[in-house]
Amino acid sequence: MNKTLNLIGLSKLHISPIQLFKLNVFIVLCTLSFLVACINGSISIDLADVFSGEISDLTKIVLIEIRLPRVILAALVGASLGISGAALQGLFRNPLADPGLIGVSAGAALGATLVIVLGSNFLSGFMLGSFLLPFGAILGAMLVIMMLYMLTKGFGYQGVTYMLLVGIAVNAIAGVGIGILTFISTDSELRGLTFWTMGSFGGVTWPLLIPAIIIILLSVTSMMTVSRNLDLIQLGEPEAYRLGVDVKKLKYKVIISCAAAVGASVSLSGMIGFVGLVVPHLVRLFGGVNHNYLLPGSAFIGAALMITADMVSRTMIQPAELPVGLITSAIGSPFFLWLIFRIKRS
Amino acid sequence: MSIRADSININLNERPILKDVSIKINQGEVLSVIGPNGAGKTTLLKSLAGDIGPTNGEIYYDKINISEVSIQERAFTRSVMSQLQPIAFDFSVKEIIEMGWVVRGESVYASEFEDAVINVVTRCGVKDLINRNFNTLSGGEQRRIHFARTLLQLWRPSDSKDPKYLLLDEPTANLDLTYEVKLLNIVKESANDGTGVMLVLHDLNLAAKFSDKIALLDKGCIVEIGTPLEVLNSKILSEVYDIEIKVQKDPLFITYY
Repeated sequence: MNKTLNLIGLSKLHISPIQLFKLNVFIVLCTLSFLVACINGSISIDLADVFSGEISDLTKIVLIEIRLPRVILAALVGASLGISGAALQGLFRNPLADPGLIGVSAGAALGATLVIVLGSNFLSGFMLGSFLLPFGAILGAMLVIMMLYMLTKGFGYQGVTYMLLVGIAVNAIAGVGIGILTFISTDSELRGLTFWTMGSFGGVTWPLLIPAIIIILLSVTSMMTVSRNLDLIQLGEPEAYRLGVDVKKLKYKVIISCAAAVGASVSLSGMIGFVGLVVPHLVRLFGGVNHNYLLPGSAFIGAALMITADMVSRTMIQPAELPVGLITSAIGSPFFLWLIFRIKRS
Repeated sequence: MSIRADSININLNERPILKDVSIKINQGEVLSVIGPNGAGKTTLLKSLAGDIGPTNGEIYYDKINISEVSIQERAFTRSVMSQLQPIAFDFSVKEIIEMGWVVRGESVYASEFEDAVINVVTRCGVKDLINRNFNTLSGGEQRRIHFARTLLQLWRPSDSKDPKYLLLDEPTANLDLTYEVKLLNIVKESANDGTGVMLVLHDLNLAAKFSDKIALLDKGCIVEIGTPLEVLNSKILSEVYDIEIKVQKDPLFITYY
């Protein structure tokens, strides 16, 4: 474990043994939910058969071509939203920062919609295949974070309410953009757009998934390397600077990593709300606020929660499927209200 | 070995804050900066800490121009405590103090970490607060914790000869009489161990008691710099502060009310 910690730039000094133990529990939870989600669905798969190799061709196709990419995508999206929420809350020094609430997901959605609708008209000569949609979404997410940075004057602590208001405005602008693009889209584009905005892990294929795996893993690793600096910036930017943190570099690193992770997630699964807000708070309640624990914890719990939410969404009312965003919002919105109430009281 | 400002001018929003200021923090010496509100004391501390670059003039860390000293290297050389910002999340007191662990070759000295933390905690008398939530502490207690963090940043291996400097902006604000004296005694001890100290103080009697040198600042200029006996002169002080100030010489005591 120590070697792994060092490899990603974490020091054992700034994480307690009990927190390390809890991270191991989160890993076990994540693995268990992964296995359970792989075998449950409209066709049940016996795990013993999988390990013994005695499975039919149909089951094999269901497992490898449908179930596995879907569960991996759910895990990746959960992990990236969870860790991005934690990193943004840390950077903004704001417990209400969430990629969805502050408009980052909406920016990504607008970027992705632009690619879906305008891509076929203007960009056919430069098609980058499955990379184009994530690229559009990442660019959209990055633009929104940059805009937030400028409007809140460097993520100042006093800008809490201001930032949420900016988020509301950005969400509205993105809504208008998506609306206009939907209006001008052709029938085939509209079909693609409709499926995409439903927000689902269904229909994902390996060629779509592989670029997302690369982008999200790179972003998550990049965020992990700044966990100590995210702790130090809690003292305020001048204090962090005096403790040797290159604050500007830290901001760019977190902004780019979050934009990439959220953009790649949104491009494949649509907008899924509240995960980035709820997961870091859950992880804090379990074991502490330091980022050496919080960032990996949010990634594992985010992945476990999203895998479970997706499993519930596709097994609850078979053969129909509930949008997964509905389930995350149903859990997340009361939690959001509780959080506002708690902040008001303190 | 020193931190030195050579004829620095600082303009903020085109308003001159410091005018042709030259000052030096020597190792093993406590230098206090006093002066009325708006004199430029905090700006001077910030510029010596490297937070603000001078508009003209140069700042040197042991003969190296500060612009050539990396952010990381500055953190290894000097430790700063100034006005503090609220902390959004519920960090424990221990975690806040441990944030001061900035050591060259951190992994080499990992085994010394716990001892170093215990040492500053004991020295600053905050052992009973260590497991508390930082946000539940009073303003004075929070200040004591930040002071402990600032001291931890100056931890050096026993064989180290690297210079170290402590820059404190109104360190006694919000502290009761006991901790005010306790903190300044620790500062004095650190100076005796070779640390160069700069204090921004409002209390002239504390400055008189704990400083080796005092710089009196007014309207961005140094009016007087020297030993407490030289600087704390009733005529100069009365002029600068614009109230009647009496100075008793032996023992040095200032009355201004």
